[in-house]
Amino acid sequence: MKTFEEKWTAWLDDQLSGRELSEFEASLPDKAAAQAEKAEAKKLGQFLKRELSAYPLKNEEFFSHQLHERIVQESGEQRRDRPRRGGTPSWWTIPRLLWAGMGSLAVFLIFTVLVMHQERPAEESQYLTQILNARVDPVVSPNGTVSIFEVKQDRATVLWTEGLQSLPADYAAK
Amino acid sequence: MQTEATLAQSDVSELDLVKRCQDGDTEAFDELVTRYRTRVFGMIYNMVHSEQDAWDLAQESFLKAWKSIGRFRGQSSFYTWIYRIVMNVTIDWLRKKKIKGGEAEFDDAIQPREIDPASKTVPKTEALPHQAMERDEIRERIDKAIGQLSPEHRAVILMKEIDDMQYHEIAEALGCSIGTVMSRLFYARKKLQNLLRDVYENV
Repeated sequence: MKTFEEKWTAWLDDQLSGRELSEFEASLPDKAAAQAEKAEAKKLGQFLKRELSAYPLKNEEFFSHQLHERIVQESGEQRRDRPRRGGTPSWWTIPRLLWAGMGSLAVFLIFTVLVMHQERPAEESQYLTQILNARVDPVVSPNGTVSIFEVKQDRATVLWTEGLQSLPADYAAK
Repeated sequence: MQTEATLAQSDVSELDLVKRCQDGDTEAFDELVTRYRTRVFGMIYNMVHSEQDAWDLAQESFLKAWKSIGRFRGQSSFYTWIYRIVMNVTIDWLRKKKIKGGEAEFDDAIQPREIDPASKTVPKTEALPHQAMERDEIRERIDKAIGQLSPEHRAVILMKEIDDMQYHEIAEALGCSIGTVMSRLFYARKKLQNLLRDVYENV
């Protein structure tokens, strides 16, 4: 539903017709005063049109030339900026982050593998030393030791003796 | 006055120009600028009352139009579309100016109306000095009265009275409803009638 202002404006501009026009005119308390105001509004419109409509644009060609220069300049700047603007985010965001992440992960894995490998305790020495038996008579050889080294991989056993007295020649015979 | 045929022809060629602009043809845009620069400049001048500012704002408006021409879909006329840009630029500028420096436009910012002797639009019969002075005074009174309206009310009354635009075209250019346009027209007219009655009754 139109407000009074809207109806009044439409009436002034001769935009009301038919039933709407008759209803609006019937609602006016003083039709003569309203008609006078309408005439005055029209006079204002004509006055404004006469006084304001002919303000010239001087140097029209220069206006267009200046605008053209600005457009060319801005287009050039946009073209120069495009690769920068286009390239920078794509290189500094997703691919670069991806590459950086993958690189970091690889370095971490290599480092971890190396360190872990170095720190891992040997499960079993290649040269397993076992003192299998040491029976030395302390009276005969007080500093004597007898050791047996067994290398499982090479299937070899070494008997190592120290501090033993020389055996009497008839010892074996005993 | 244009016949329907010539109107249709000019509309088609205007659409054609717009399409060429959308393909990056600056010469087509020059053609559109040539068609509308005087009207656009005149409208802005009547709103800001400064020739230099009107020049700059008209340039700014056309530049914005060029940048966003790709978004023009032809649902309205090119003129209505560019008016929307013009009104946005000008109203925004007026608001900023008001915030910065109050209502300074009624002091030294108003430039007296001048006619460039080299201009194509020089009247053939020049006004007598007292007539010219009288016109300057009238113009000053009008500028002062229009300056008392808000930017939106200025825009509405100028588009209606000077450019003979329809309510729906004004609404489209300002991005508001037709009811708002009519309401603004009502108040703008009332205010100008009060401020200028003695002038237009005696001219």
